[in-house]
Amino acid sequence: MNNQVQKWYDKPISKIILVSISLTWVLPYFGFVLSSFRPGDSIKRVSWWSSIATGDFIREFTFDNYSEILFAENLSRSFFNSFAVTIPSTIIPITIAAFAAYAFAFIDFKGKDIAFLFVVAMMIVPLQMSLIPLIKLFSKGAVLFGVTVIPELSINGTFVAVWFAHTGFGLPLATFLLRDFMMGLPKSVIESAKIDGASHLTTFFKLALPLSVAGIAAFATFQFLWVYNDFLVANVFLGIRPQNLVVTSHVAQLTVGNYGEAWHLRTSGAVISMIVPLIVFFSLQRFFIRGLIGGAVKG
Amino acid sequence: MFRELTKVLPRPVLVVLAIVVGSTFIFLLYLGMNKLINYAPERYHEGLYGAMFVGPAIFLLGLFLLYPAIRTIYLSFFDKRGNNFIGLENYIWSFSDRMMLITIRNQVIWLVGVVTLVILFGLVVGYISDRLKKGEAFFKSIIFMPMAISAVGSSAIFKFIYEYRPPPLTQIGLINGLRVGVGSDVNGNECGNNVTLDDGTKLDYVNEGCLKPIGWLQQRDLTNLPSFENITSTDFFSSIFVNFPINTVLLMLVMVWMFTGFAMVVFSAAIKAIPGEIIEAGQIDGASEGKIFLSIVIPYLKTTILVVATYMTVSVLKAFDIIYVTTRGDFETNLLAVKMLDEFAKFLNQGRSAAVAVIIFISVIPIIILNIIRNKSEAKS
Repeated sequence: MNNQVQKWYDKPISKIILVSISLTWVLPYFGFVLSSFRPGDSIKRVSWWSSIATGDFIREFTFDNYSEILFAENLSRSFFNSFAVTIPSTIIPITIAAFAAYAFAFIDFKGKDIAFLFVVAMMIVPLQMSLIPLIKLFSKGAVLFGVTVIPELSINGTFVAVWFAHTGFGLPLATFLLRDFMMGLPKSVIESAKIDGASHLTTFFKLALPLSVAGIAAFATFQFLWVYNDFLVANVFLGIRPQNLVVTSHVAQLTVGNYGEAWHLRTSGAVISMIVPLIVFFSLQRFFIRGLIGGAVKG
Repeated sequence: MFRELTKVLPRPVLVVLAIVVGSTFIFLLYLGMNKLINYAPERYHEGLYGAMFVGPAIFLLGLFLLYPAIRTIYLSFFDKRGNNFIGLENYIWSFSDRMMLITIRNQVIWLVGVVTLVILFGLVVGYISDRLKKGEAFFKSIIFMPMAISAVGSSAIFKFIYEYRPPPLTQIGLINGLRVGVGSDVNGNECGNNVTLDDGTKLDYVNEGCLKPIGWLQQRDLTNLPSFENITSTDFFSSIFVNFPINTVLLMLVMVWMFTGFAMVVFSAAIKAIPGEIIEAGQIDGASEGKIFLSIVIPYLKTTILVVATYMTVSVLKAFDIIYVTTRGDFETNLLAVKMLDEFAKFLNQGRSAAVAVIIFISVIPIIILNIIRNKSEAKS
């Protein structure tokens, strides 16, 4: 083979393309993160690149923005709210989906195919289609042919409403992915458990769940980040009362207005909001990417 | 009950309690159902277990997705409060109202622009990084990182880059800051971004001849841009050119920045799956790298490109955060998902809001059908 000939990708030009693309991708963070360590009035007086050039950045380096945003601006409260929204919103849909996936894979029951088709069909419904009726459902309940199916709950603006909403939006994909995963498990193992007289519930908890950990982890990472980073659902169902803000809606509020040119709060707030996703991303990258590729059709 | 509890307990306790209860009640529900089934006669067990395992999922999907979707379609034929049937009026409004038409135009620009650019960048980056001897993982992580952080965070980052402040204030946004520092004014003095030099002279950009900063996100067409001040819209093409919505395109780039990493990961997985002998055969036949990329790699990636295009189309149609956080839909930058919420929450018009939601849904359908056709033809061959 022509090993002597220099491959095109070893040529400087492709290295230059790569380096310039990655610089372009990093540059946006760079000035932003850097500004979060500068005093508020300096940010407005001197641009961040000249502050490096003149050495002002080193001289004025400060963590004050972070303590201000966390305590005076109460982003710490929003941070806890984010977890109160995110953890149940990850666990509830996965649990329900895992049970359903087990049934689709290992239990024979009437209407299985139609039920599964229904799950797949629900994957293509954009969540915008559900917003208005869900808001009403959560406040006024549902009456079908004169029969009260869902009572008047008035849970809008509570964590429960957001959990339910995220459960609904995450469920089709979770069921689909976990069913796929469980179909791949060795059927003989499940069958032999049944012959030994184990109930479905025992088989589910003792065999199917432990064997599907990889699939569950992939979806859990994906759903966790999706919910944590979500702004629309939190904005609609939790609202913008200060004690209800999650991290994303708090940062959105800082950015969209009311705060004039408070770039020292916008930058530090946004940087704090990015810490959790980046930790999750770098420690669970493999799972996240698998969940994401599987989630290419999330509603 | 929730409300009473919130009054009695301190907030941190409440939040912790919420996390614990929210994460466990669902298991108790299934355990309870299991207990109930044990009381039923043996021969019904299999069917009952099926219902117990699948039932909650189906019920919730029906309640949270199917019922609301049908209800939204129904509401889209009713007036603002959902009381009177008004036929297609909301849809007629959707395609005749000036702001709605601009919103639809923006949505089309985003669809074409984001999908094309993400696929293009994803292919190039995926292909080149796959051939790297070292540093592939590092390089990919950099490109992929925006995918992990929230759209709200990304929008804040880019708002900072596009930031505009009225003269003579220091320009702190990267683009305007670099722009005003170039060149010199009519008297030959250097222009600067309010910089004070070591010898005490101050460089400014307010003098005649220096470049003025531009409010990029307020710039809905080219007419106010300095180099295009003199163009007029006489014929069809120049009027399209003059109306080039520069702010919409700049905001679109935020999404490209965010999603290129996704496309790259998907493509590079697919590129790794191409059998090496095929590419080697091409090299032996003397095909250039460009030729190999176009006539071997691309045809192999057809299905993958469709997958990415589908994902991106759906994501763009639902794009909400970027616009909401940066311009709030002003300056003719609105998108359907933002408009949908505005009609509901700001203008209190359920009917119109529902109609916009239905338009989003209908726009998703063609690419889904394309996928189904593709899957069928693949299953056959």
